[in-house]
Amino acid sequence: MGDGNNTSGRGIAANNTSSTNSEKPEWLQQYNLLGKIGEGTYGLVFLARIKSLTNRGKCVAIKKFKQSKDGDGVSPTAIREIMLLREISHENVVKLVNVHINHADMSLYLAFDYAEYDLYEIIRHHRDKVNHAMNQYTVKSLLWQLLNGLNYLHSNWIIHRDLKPSNILVMGDGDEYGVVKIADFGLARIYQAPLKPLSENGVVVTIWYRAPELLLGAKHYTSAVDMWAVGCIFAELLTLKPLFQGAEAKSTPNPFQRDQLDKIFKILGHPTLEKWPTLANLPHWQSDVQHIKAHKYENTGLHSVVHLSPNSPAFDLLSKMLEYDPRKRITAAQALEHEYFRIEPLPGHNALVPNQPGEKIINYPTRPVDQNTDFEGTTSIQQPPQPVPSGNVAGGMGGHVGRNGSVNRPMPHPQVQRMPQGVMAYNYPSQAGVGDMNPGGMPMQRNLAAQPHQPQQLRRKDPGMGMTGYPPQQKSRRM
Amino acid sequence: MAANFWTSSHFEQFLDPEEVDVVHQQDKDKGITLEEFKLVKMHMTNCIQKLAQFVKVRQRVVATAVAYMRRVYTRKSMSEYDPRLVAPTCLYLASKAEESTVQARLLVFYIKKLNSDEKYRYEIKDILEMEMKILEALNYYLVVFHPYRTLVQLLQDAGINDMNMTQLSWGLVNDTYKMDLVLIHPPYLIALACMYIASVYREKDTTTWFEELRVDMNVVKNISMEILDFYENYQTISEERVNAAFRKLSFKP
Repeated sequence: MGDGNNTSGRGIAANNTSSTNSEKPEWLQQYNLLGKIGEGTYGLVFLARIKSLTNRGKCVAIKKFKQSKDGDGVSPTAIREIMLLREISHENVVKLVNVHINHADMSLYLAFDYAEYDLYEIIRHHRDKVNHAMNQYTVKSLLWQLLNGLNYLHSNWIIHRDLKPSNILVMGDGDEYGVVKIADFGLARIYQAPLKPLSENGVVVTIWYRAPELLLGAKHYTSAVDMWAVGCIFAELLTLKPLFQGAEAKSTPNPFQRDQLDKIFKILGHPTLEKWPTLANLPHWQSDVQHIKAHKYENTGLHSVVHLSPNSPAFDLLSKMLEYDPRKRITAAQALEHEYFRIEPLPGHNALVPNQPGEKIINYPTRPVDQNTDFEGTTSIQQPPQPVPSGNVAGGMGGHVGRNGSVNRPMPHPQVQRMPQGVMAYNYPSQAGVGDMNPGGMPMQRNLAAQPHQPQQLRRKDPGMGMTGYPPQQKSRRM
Repeated sequence: MAANFWTSSHFEQFLDPEEVDVVHQQDKDKGITLEEFKLVKMHMTNCIQKLAQFVKVRQRVVATAVAYMRRVYTRKSMSEYDPRLVAPTCLYLASKAEESTVQARLLVFYIKKLNSDEKYRYEIKDILEMEMKILEALNYYLVVFHPYRTLVQLLQDAGINDMNMTQLSWGLVNDTYKMDLVLIHPPYLIALACMYIASVYREKDTTTWFEELRVDMNVVKNISMEILDFYENYQTISEERVNAAFRKLSFKP
């Protein structure tokens, strides 16, 4: 990690303080930049291919952290993410392969193994395109691997705090095809001996996946918040719809989200002090108890929402994940031992290819790549983007990142800072040479090795590149 | 791993004392001796501690900052990486890693207040640039384990609850950061060594308790000896010797 790049752009810092430098820093020269795959409050995520012979063709997602505007150096979020990722290593957790520093503009880059798919895209594809449920094997394998990664994190005292479908990636072509990777540790915390209450660095977890204790203002929460999110994701894999789609009250700084709680109570019924004794200690339970009690909920019944028999092992597991009392909620370790995973179909390593003969293999859309953006976040004008094969590409941004849905994050930084137009510093098309690129939109292709060189196309007008077949994401996604 | 010492990068990166006590060529060329090398690190540890009191961060943040600084100097020379900038920057970085972020301008303000010497006067921009260089020098390994938590548990386990013993061993642990022990020994052994010294000093009989532990007492005693040697040799750091070392370092051939 970064060992090899002792020079890593320092030369540039020395002879050139301006980012309009047309020379690429040394570290960047080991990659071919393919496009933007995500955007968050901290910066951008790019897709790039490693040039070196040993890793030829291997793709990485490069997450760029901008220097914070308030003049306080590397963002603490980036520091914490690096700190955790540098220590962890597990099959079902995204792998940090390199860290790079650009001394010229004091930006920091994390390079991850690239995963082509994420649960957000997979679920959406089933809902909007395939029109039938995911097969049981895939659901079970995805869930098992997610729990396996989470069990590793929890047994090492790490809470993820921001689990949602878009942060759960699935590997594409290669040795690890169909393997789940938990991503985005920007909000993750080591909770063994925190110096501050966990609640103190911002409300966490996208509202739909947020555990009731968080919604009610718990100060000292546990890894059980991740298990609630897994429960929500499990239900979503089954029904292809978010289980609790509350409307977020954005104006209030406090974590109390009435609508989200209403959505939960409607399906799970009221939490009671008998079932959840520590409920009485939660700040918003006390202050809002009247509202909560005044409301009558006709307990719809979780089983009918997720179309599972109340006696099925799947339902038993789901209801244990959605247990109100965090102390009674099933843990990742317990969940892995659950009967659901012991009955047919057994979960497997490749979640995407069903092991039953005759089952149709679904070609999932990969995460979209915006080839129109360079490393500075400016729009490229040098190289027209290539057409992407339709049906193989879907809209939506990112996956390693909070996508458009960063509203729930603590926002230490202003929105991604735009560089002045025409700053082409590390713009790959102008530097890398056309021959280096894969014009067919390489990461979207299964058989990417032999892509013919396609002629250049006219530049697209629409800013939402590659959103073939889907409406623009900004509207449809609100997490 | 982030919470298991034995699988952590901290453990993997352990060094032998011979590897830590290496004066970099560039510093050697300026006449810096091993003694001076140690002395400067010790002096900067004190500076970090002082600065930390002003910006009000916990002891663990100080300990992490000192560990960062000591790791940096196993890889980088003091000629290239000025200790007077590296030390406060390590505190800055540690404050972020330990979730107690301190603003750079606050650090700069107190550095100026604490040091009349112009050579200490770095600006915010310098700290931010050095932060990146330190991240790189640390090879992005930021998790550091400390003896404090273990010490509390061990004291409890040994049934020691008088404040005298607790405070003395805690203070001893603080002082171990003036040496490179954190780069060489696991935190629990450092904690045990401090308890051992404290119990000898306070004439507290802990022999049975130590005997029942499954640890190599020779190692614990060796660490204790190192700590005692340190007290003997560095009771007071003479300002003059530190300044002499800094004069050598600032020499431009």
